[in-house]
Amino acid sequence: MNYLERRVIHGMLLLVGVSVLCFVFGSLAPGNFFDEMKLNPQISPATVAALRSQYGIDEPLPLRYGRWVKSVFRGEWGYSFAYNCPVKNLLLVRARNTLLLTTLATLLAWLIAVPLGVWTANRRGRWDDRLGLAGTSLLLSVPELVIALVLLYWVVRTHGLPVGGMVSVGFDGLGKEAKLIDIVSHLVVPAATLVLASLPLLVRHIRASVIEVLQAPFIHAARAHGIGGARVLFRYALPAAANPLSSLFGLSVGALLSGSLLVEVITGWPGLGPLLLEAAMARDIYVVVGAVMASTFFMIAGSILADILLVVVDPRIRLGSI
Amino acid sequence: MRNRRRIVAALSVLAALHLAILLAGFVAPYDPASQNRDFPFAPPTRIHFVNSHGHVHLLQPFIYEWRVRPDSFNEYEEDRDREYPVRFFRQGPEYKLAGLLRSHIHLFEVEGSAHIFLAGTDAYGRDQFSRILYGGQVSLAAGLLATGISLFFGLIVGCVSGFYGRWIDESAMRLVELFLVLPWLYFLLAVRSFLPLHISPTQTFFLLVAVIGTIGWARPARLIRGVVLSAKTRKYVIASRGFGASDSYILRRHVLPQTYGILLTQSALLVPQYVIAEVTLSFLGLGLSEPAPSWGNLLSNLQQYNVLVSYWWMFAPALALVIVSLGYLQLANAVHELQSG
Amino acid sequence: MENEATAPPAFVPPLVRAVGLNKRYVQRAPFSQKRFVIDALVDVGLEVAAASITALVGESGSGKSTLARSLAMLEKPDCGEIWFEGKQITQSSDKELALLRPRIQLVHQDSAGALNPRFTAAQIIAEPLEIQRRESGPRMRLRACELMEEVGLSASWADRRPLEFSGGQRQRLAIARAIALKPDFLILDESLSGLDLSTQAQILNLLLDLQSAYSLTYLLISHDLSLVGQVADFVAVMYRGKVVEAGTRKDIFANPRHAHTHELLGAVRLVESAFRTAQAGGRQ
Repeated sequence: MNYLERRVIHGMLLLVGVSVLCFVFGSLAPGNFFDEMKLNPQISPATVAALRSQYGIDEPLPLRYGRWVKSVFRGEWGYSFAYNCPVKNLLLVRARNTLLLTTLATLLAWLIAVPLGVWTANRRGRWDDRLGLAGTSLLLSVPELVIALVLLYWVVRTHGLPVGGMVSVGFDGLGKEAKLIDIVSHLVVPAATLVLASLPLLVRHIRASVIEVLQAPFIHAARAHGIGGARVLFRYALPAAANPLSSLFGLSVGALLSGSLLVEVITGWPGLGPLLLEAAMARDIYVVVGAVMASTFFMIAGSILADILLVVVDPRIRLGSI
Repeated sequence: MRNRRRIVAALSVLAALHLAILLAGFVAPYDPASQNRDFPFAPPTRIHFVNSHGHVHLLQPFIYEWRVRPDSFNEYEEDRDREYPVRFFRQGPEYKLAGLLRSHIHLFEVEGSAHIFLAGTDAYGRDQFSRILYGGQVSLAAGLLATGISLFFGLIVGCVSGFYGRWIDESAMRLVELFLVLPWLYFLLAVRSFLPLHISPTQTFFLLVAVIGTIGWARPARLIRGVVLSAKTRKYVIASRGFGASDSYILRRHVLPQTYGILLTQSALLVPQYVIAEVTLSFLGLGLSEPAPSWGNLLSNLQQYNVLVSYWWMFAPALALVIVSLGYLQLANAVHELQSG
Repeated sequence: MENEATAPPAFVPPLVRAVGLNKRYVQRAPFSQKRFVIDALVDVGLEVAAASITALVGESGSGKSTLARSLAMLEKPDCGEIWFEGKQITQSSDKELALLRPRIQLVHQDSAGALNPRFTAAQIIAEPLEIQRRESGPRMRLRACELMEEVGLSASWADRRPLEFSGGQRQRLAIARAIALKPDFLILDESLSGLDLSTQAQILNLLLDLQSAYSLTYLLISHDLSLVGQVADFVAVMYRGKVVEAGTRKDIFANPRHAHTHELLGAVRLVESAFRTAQAGGRQ
């Protein structure tokens, strides 16, 4: 537990560092939200000036950072100029949506990747392995952007699934079951994109880990005892490969989070991605910082999760002999 | 050796693509900004080898001009009244080859008032094929330059950190950790958002390059630091010290050559990633904006529903992107295997 | 506690003199709080007479290599003094050390590791010349080839990489590199270990030839007393970081006083008797 506590503290320090980094970069920028506002002829210069002083835009950087930190402790996480509310309100909802999408996609991806990886590892060098390698290479080269667009195109042409957003019009009037189906049907395209984008690397890593494990003597012994193919693979080999795989799991969660931004924007899924994009366009600086911190938090949480998984899954670490 | 064949294949495809893009002015039949308002969203021109008399002329392809179908307002059909042969190496609109030489000669074109739209047109009737080539200049250049920046900083930080150790190393590695834990696209957007939105295309380009380059220096830095650390403790480095070698001598003669391998593989990995980063930024509207073409803003047309559904040729820049990715990935794999082999 | 060598006449000061050297290494095992303390040198004193061959023997871990590195100014001892030609060098500034370096050279134990595998033989030998800017361009390569010939390697191999040479040839390369700057004092750290007997003999002969050609002073470090005892004038024995015995070769071999010296000598006698038995057996 000592190690875990240290990791959590380490993670929190990293978050602090990230927030400082964001603020520093922000201070390098000429112009801000209110410059854009000034261009709007409907808002009087006096209003702009008043708003500027209210939000302390012209104060020196450390002062602004201090204010923001205080706001964080108050639970507000800064103030959004565009939405006119504390950033926290925006973050919570969007983060929940992103988390929903990403966890689903991660689970699905692993559900597909593990059997694929184990299978191709077993059939190493044979034609189906080669096919798999070529396929993953190809898929790896297709950027997420393109996958999303292609999937969108296909869905639109077949008129099968709803496109865009998380819920359809008239959602509130639906029964509980129908609501669930509605959300799930909106999840399909973004989740599928994320799954396809992350599959190739996952399959490759799993395959590599399993190949290594399959070289071990105890596998040969199991086979010599007549234990059947699938059983050997999944009951003997896979658990032994759990060590590198659980680290991979934690990391893949983080990577998926970085990737989900684009997918959310393209498919209209209301997560952290579109929020950040909007705020970026509007120079809504505290929202930007909040969104970056939220996603970084997920990355760090993912890697800590990986460490926890490692301890749970690998008895050697628990018993302290590593 | 299969590896060598792969490298040669990947290199040739990449070289051909890069060359075509570098010589965009020559390969493209039209200026990327020239509009043809009569042909909005025209599909790719079909190239024919068999003429109406049934003769096959493999070496003399020709086209039919598009004509709006009389019963619709946005569907096209071929105007079979006249054949326009495709001609090579003829004079056309002037351009500057790679920004330096002025020339008139284009790789191929059709005479007269006909148009050859190899990849169709967009809403303004601009030839997509030409735009893809010119857009490639931006996207590829951004990727290559940003890779250079990342590797440059990564090399410096990695060398200094690994070589001089102690507090320099500690603080540098903390910074590396920070940059590695940031989800890169989020950070990219955030940094881009902090910078001015309405600036000239050239400025945008260099800004993009700088921003993208500063995202990815961390991983190369860490890898190079590892190499420097292990090189530093080698006996022959200690022996050099015994001869009175200065730090800079040891860095130059013994340590730096060890980093070439990593630099090579990292560049093959980073270039496609950075090209995709530029494309993504431009796609989202935070990169290069109209009218300057980039694969990103060419693809952003697909965000409109009607374009996505009806005009499949607008996906063409995606194909170019995939080819670039594939090529560099194969290269990276092959180089990696070569080194560890 | 020092046993000083008795042979050199009082009016010729030793070339190198070390007094009261101490060096302690503290290692922390990763991820734990445990620390390992290694006392590599404990109050070590040594004298090396000019134009002589001094052997430094001891088992692994006795501190021989640490002493070698300290004498070669590659490591600073925690405390103690080192004198070279009557001048204190432990407190010298980097500038003064830089002037001294060409005169004290160390040939490492691990010849494969001590030579950069990407360099050619000529580049390796020329490296000290390049660093010290003694020569340049074609003259440098010429000098490198000369040195190769001197140590018994054919100059036609100048463009080969170290791994293309055998162990013994690599040692010759290392020696050639070490004498490139015409040093006065040469420390050879286990340079003969891992070579077969005949190669060892050849290298020893080479060293003797070089000594008379360049009037070198050697410090031969080894765990093998029988080997270095053949050519040494003086012998010092180290055990667990301390110099436990020192004297002329005759003294040490005839009247060993410390238990460890007995052990090392015992090994010698064992080898000798085994050799004689083998010879006798062979003839029958």
